[in-house]
Amino acid sequence: MKEIKIALVGQPNVGKSHLINSISGATLHVGNFSGVTVEKKEVEFERNGYNLKLIDLPGTYSLHPYTPEEKVTKDFLLNEEYDLILNVIDSNQIEKNLIFSFQVADLNKPMVIAFNMYDEYSRGGGEIDTDKFFKLINIMAQNVSAKEKFGLEELFNKVIKTYEGKNTPRVYYSEIIEEEIENVKEKIKEVKFDKRFTAIRLLEEDEDIYKLVHEKPWYIDLVSQLQESKKVIRNEYDNDDVKEIFFEERLALSKGIVTQIAKKAKKETLSEKIDKILIHPILGLPIFLFVMWAIFQLTFDVGAIPANYIGAGFSAFGEWVGGLLPNGLVKESLVNGVIPAVGAVVMFLPNILILFLGINLLEQTGYMARAAYVMDGVLKKFGLQGRAFIPLVSGFGCSVPAYMAARTLKNPKDRLITMLVIGFMSCGARLPIYILLVSAFFAPAIQGDVMFAIYIGGALTGLIVAKILRVVLFKGEPEPFVMELPKYRFPRLKAILFDLWVKTKMFLKKAGTFIAISAFTIWFLSSFPRENIVKEYSVKIEQVKSVDKKAALEEEMNQKILENSYIAHIGKAIEPIFRPLDLGWREDVSLLAGLAAKETVVSTMAVLYGAGNADETSKSLIEKIRNAMPFTAAVAMIIIVMFYSPCVAAMSTFYAEVPQMVWKIFYTIYPNVFAYIAAFIAVSLIKIFS
Amino acid sequence: MKLNELKIGESGIIKKIYAKEPLKSKLLSMGFARGEKVKVLKHTLAKNTFDVDINGVNVALREEEAKEIKVERKNNERN
Ligand SMILES: Nc1nc2c(ncn2[C@@H]2O[C@H](COP(=O)(O)OP(=O)(O)O)[C@@H](O)[C@H]2O)c(=O)[nH]1
Repeated sequence: MKEIKIALVGQPNVGKSHLINSISGATLHVGNFSGVTVEKKEVEFERNGYNLKLIDLPGTYSLHPYTPEEKVTKDFLLNEEYDLILNVIDSNQIEKNLIFSFQVADLNKPMVIAFNMYDEYSRGGGEIDTDKFFKLINIMAQNVSAKEKFGLEELFNKVIKTYEGKNTPRVYYSEIIEEEIENVKEKIKEVKFDKRFTAIRLLEEDEDIYKLVHEKPWYIDLVSQLQESKKVIRNEYDNDDVKEIFFEERLALSKGIVTQIAKKAKKETLSEKIDKILIHPILGLPIFLFVMWAIFQLTFDVGAIPANYIGAGFSAFGEWVGGLLPNGLVKESLVNGVIPAVGAVVMFLPNILILFLGINLLEQTGYMARAAYVMDGVLKKFGLQGRAFIPLVSGFGCSVPAYMAARTLKNPKDRLITMLVIGFMSCGARLPIYILLVSAFFAPAIQGDVMFAIYIGGALTGLIVAKILRVVLFKGEPEPFVMELPKYRFPRLKAILFDLWVKTKMFLKKAGTFIAISAFTIWFLSSFPRENIVKEYSVKIEQVKSVDKKAALEEEMNQKILENSYIAHIGKAIEPIFRPLDLGWREDVSLLAGLAAKETVVSTMAVLYGAGNADETSKSLIEKIRNAMPFTAAVAMIIIVMFYSPCVAAMSTFYAEVPQMVWKIFYTIYPNVFAYIAAFIAVSLIKIFS
Repeated sequence: MKLNELKIGESGIIKKIYAKEPLKSKLLSMGFARGEKVKVLKHTLAKNTFDVDINGVNVALREEEAKEIKVERKNNERN
């Protein structure tokens, strides 16, 4: 079947992702653009005997890229193979969007435009005449709604028609400019792009294109014409900046076309009304803090309800499996190792989902951008800018996408500073550790607040560290802050549920594979060698009569096995390092295991504290650690988890994003040193004041 | 006058963009072009950050960036 490869482009927030999700019968692949970690979504589907393959390019305001992500889009459009460009436009902002469309149209590739959000636009009384649009600039267009799923099939028909007819745009600028484009074009001999496009980009002073023609033998000839043409244009427009002239040219063209094809919709005023309150000069910041506080409260309180049932479910399951299997190593490893450990992690799934839901809602409703606006003043004091807020908040969910989100920061210094402190925003996987320790060591009434304090404390520390980095290592001004505030939108319930479902699936998969295997490994390492001990005790147990005594001896035996196990040896070897923090070897080992994935901290604790041996009389993990660990150790552990290196997955993302070796090394070391010192100070303070 | 000198609710017509590249291109692509009308919707208490409307698009920018935009105040403007 013939494949049509389509580059999907558009400015940010025009609904590209939504559109991709609304195509029926499509399969989605997620990968990376080569060499960079920008997510690359590809969807494939069949229509009219063609296999349509859409490649979603990062949202872009202009072909003069500002952020690294925008550069990805430009590079793709210039250098990759594709058959057609599908440009998605937000109908509510046609004028601004078309400026970009015209830049893309210059490429002279087959192109189709989708006027998205047409549901909203037409409800406001707006209309767009796509036939007339086609007559004016020879680009087929379709009014669509990704949300209400209309116009999509017609859109794909137009895509196929455009492809079959090799129909290319005809966008012309004003006469003077066209004349100079023509003059420059004549001097361009052989070049891999369309000549007219090359001429336009040269006039606009596009460095990438300039480099390309720089080596050509006809370059000298070209350059004098280029100077001449620019001079003519500058004089004619009484403006020294040819790039600006082209922008204005496109804006004027866009406005002209819009008056001919579109009936404007009534202005939406809801966003403005909501903004009156949410980004109020005085109330804005307190409201934001309250929202964050509420999210963490819900995470803790509501999440705890199902968590208890899940915990109980796993204990019951463990007993059931125990009853089913014959005695032996398999049963022992499952009942004492894997099941309780996986249970201890899965218990926290509800909490994690609520936290993700909260961050998701912030993003989807459009509040996140407002929060960036509200926080900009604060962030500026710490040497960051409002935009950095988005990767930082995503960091509360998971550091991996947060590192990627930092790509919206243009300035490499800003990006690096932000990325270096993202780890201080405690990710969702660390939540179980906090809940476990906070539940064990703090009074129920204040647990929610302690949780909030942990998160805020981490965030504040992150900001202070950012400031220090800015002052000490990255002198210079933070990058400019210019950011669109998208309209408030009602979140898409389906998309959110789908997202949570994907998170759940991934989490359970991780729990069932990675966590289970690591729990098994920890169990194994903590149960062997034991032959001699078992021999010794089985004789003793034989000798005593009373059931109580037998149980006590058994307990003693298990304790002894653990104390002599491989893992105890490892733990004891590193124990001296952590002793100043009052941490025991079980905690040390758990923290080390946490470098693989933060979930394994809790599962390792569960195995090492023998949560699997829990019968009705013995205690849950929470009670066990409450008895075993001093308060100072709990605090030290919380602080270390707040600050030390994130998991391997996050670290490799950072390595992929940051090319310089120095920063990779710095990033690998400093959080751990920082965590240790912070924990040590906290422990010392507690000791002094109690 | 500069964009950051407008009060909340006031509008102006953009006269010139002083900013250098690449900020200039960024501003242009967001719609800040000469002759366009811009309205200050809000600013933070300390006037550090501004929220403006440019051609129906809501854009947040800092005082530093707002200073780079020369405007002429529009009088008795409603809406
Ligand atoms: N009313 C309406 N909203 C839409 C439509 N398409 C997308 N949206 C909303 O617009 C916002 C941005 O969409 P998204 O797909 O994330 O934009 P992207 O940045 O281009 O990928 C989301 O809140 C969507 O729910 C549409 O056709 N109609």
